[in-house]
Amino acid sequence: MDGQRLTFHLAGINNQNFIMRDDETGTYWQQISGLAISGPLKGRQLTLVPADELTFATWRSEQPQGTVLNDVPKYVSGYAKQDWDVRMQRTTTVIQFAEHGMKARDLMLGIQAFGASRAFLYDRVLKEKVVKDHVGAEPVLLVAGEDNQSVRVFRDRIPGIDAAPDFYRLAPPKPGALLMDAPTGSEWNFQGCAVSGKEQGVCLERVQAIKDYWFDWRNYNPKTTVWGK
Amino acid sequence: MLRSRWMFVLSLAACLVFSAVCVVYPMYVIRPFRAQGAQELAAALVVSRYRGMATVISALAALAALAAYWPAQPVRWRRILAAVGAGLVCVFAILARINVYELMFHPIDRATFAAAGKSKLDGGEKVIAVLVNGQARAYPIRGMAYHHIVNDKVGKTAIVATY
Repeated sequence: MDGQRLTFHLAGINNQNFIMRDDETGTYWQQISGLAISGPLKGRQLTLVPADELTFATWRSEQPQGTVLNDVPKYVSGYAKQDWDVRMQRTTTVIQFAEHGMKARDLMLGIQAFGASRAFLYDRVLKEKVVKDHVGAEPVLLVAGEDNQSVRVFRDRIPGIDAAPDFYRLAPPKPGALLMDAPTGSEWNFQGCAVSGKEQGVCLERVQAIKDYWFDWRNYNPKTTVWGK
Repeated sequence: MLRSRWMFVLSLAACLVFSAVCVVYPMYVIRPFRAQGAQELAAALVVSRYRGMATVISALAALAALAAYWPAQPVRWRRILAAVGAGLVCVFAILARINVYELMFHPIDRATFAAAGKSKLDGGEKVIAVLVNGQARAYPIRGMAYHHIVNDKVGKTAIVATY
């Protein structure tokens, strides 16, 4: 922040979303929003680094030169178990928002962009594999990866083309290609880049989404809409 | 003499109560499986920010009160009780510096990384993946769900990965 590196530590919890504190200024920050909520830097905002939640296999295939965090051996026994997400479903929440028929621990993909907030039921996106929708007035495209776990979101526009892309999933998918667009017949990979056809080399604009439980997403996005509701 | 003894006792008691509140109030408000209201959270965080210094000052005041009370109090058990009280104030000054959240979820002091091709991580494990200035980094979620925070540097860019 302002050229100073901040070092963060876990400092507390706020309605089941954690709070962190930086050593340098003693400011407290809310994890989900990156907003400073108490202390000398109150009101300041950390810059969000775009991130994906992917399977390791998918990530490794895309980034073979990447590096991955090692486990810390003395704490490994405390790490979440393989079925931790199933166990979490049984954990109670301290706040609930029973709107749109949603349950507190429904897993959502939340998008906050284009002046609006919209949430998508994660399991339903995986089932549909390709979802075309809008966030605010902007068309967006949600695509499930071949691993049927990873999801990415793009602006549903091909740069330089006015016509709606009308993406559809290749069935069966070809190696390295997941989608085809109707106007140009180009094939697109999971990174949103055309790998063949007229648009080869062109990439769709990524839209940041986060995976979050409904109660937490709704708590920080009170005006959110929900896909399909 | 009796009046000044009461003054020292009241001072000691005030330090004890003050230090106890400094330690207990944030722990009471900011705890898992309890809803936090905006105003009580704000108050608890202010107490947390200043309690390190405040409890030290309180401990020094308690020790000063004890030092003044001890020679003025001829009854042995009352002296001992006052000493215990001052000792408790000092204990609260130590407790005010303990981060209970990091006792439960240890931070990663020095993160180490493996090349993607050399990692033994199962392909089905989920990771948080970032691309910073062309450098790709992945943080396995099951580990992140324990540590919650990794202070990292990707190339020349300092980032903090959280889950």
